[in-house]
Amino acid sequence: MSRRLNRHTCEEVFRRLDDYLDRRLSADEARKVEEHLHICDACTREFTFEASVLDGVKHKLRHLAAPPDLLTRILAQLSPPKNGGQGA
Amino acid sequence: MPAPMSLDAAAVSFESLFSAVFNTAYGVALRLSRNQADAEDLVQDAAFLAHRAFASFTPGTNFRAWFLKILTNCFYSKRRQEKSRPVTSDLDDTPDLYLYARSGQAGFPVQGPDPAAQLLEALGTERVVQAINRLPDEYRVVSTLFFMEDLSYEEIARVLECPVGTVRSRLHRGRKMLQKALWQIAQEDGIVGAPLAGVQV
Repeated sequence: MSRRLNRHTCEEVFRRLDDYLDRRLSADEARKVEEHLHICDACTREFTFEASVLDGVKHKLRHLAAPPDLLTRILAQLSPPKNGGQGA
Repeated sequence: MPAPMSLDAAAVSFESLFSAVFNTAYGVALRLSRNQADAEDLVQDAAFLAHRAFASFTPGTNFRAWFLKILTNCFYSKRRQEKSRPVTSDLDDTPDLYLYARSGQAGFPVQGPDPAAQLLEALGTERVVQAINRLPDEYRVVSTLFFMEDLSYEEIARVLECPVGTVRSRLHRGRKMLQKALWQIAQEDGIVGAPLAGVQV
């Protein structure tokens, strides 16, 4: 009986995995997930692994440098030249 | 002379707002277009369109979301002009917890000190970027906005002009696809065992 109950809880918690990691659950729902994680090693391993993949990918993708002169080039093209060169 | 003053003020304001989001815009453009030359063109085209449409921007609202909407529209517009390309991907139908399950099956440790971080570290930044590049457009766009810029589901929905539920489902599927792409690359690089012949991965 307790095994069936625990299994159901694992499934319920698993369905909330992404929303939990993305902090989209209500405080009450998040607390229920955390209560389950406290007693379930298997779910804790899965959640920890998924969270680490998420953090690792975010970290790696955020270190991209733009070419140093690109901003200057774009702003120069957006700004019409002063005094327009109409008299040439 | 209010008119010239307001034009100057608008120009200065656009310049400062655009400069503040420039690195974000370039990063997103690079992930969407997959190469530097196209990314530069995309940011430049989006900047030109945004500058022209700046009068429609409401001061005090989210310039980043406004600009990224123009940039993603610009990206999709360019894609439509290209030749039609296959929409199917071998990343479709990736099951949940793909990386976790495959790691366990292949003997890569899923316990101990941060096994996922070890795998990503072994892959390196460039290969993680290439994994994102393998996603089909609609999933790559949502994943890029989420992973790179930490936009909320609601902000991404505003940028892409789609329901929040669509963002949620694309992001969920995009994550699974990304995990499969990461695993494929880990196999290609010999970080984990190569697939056996005839075995579906």
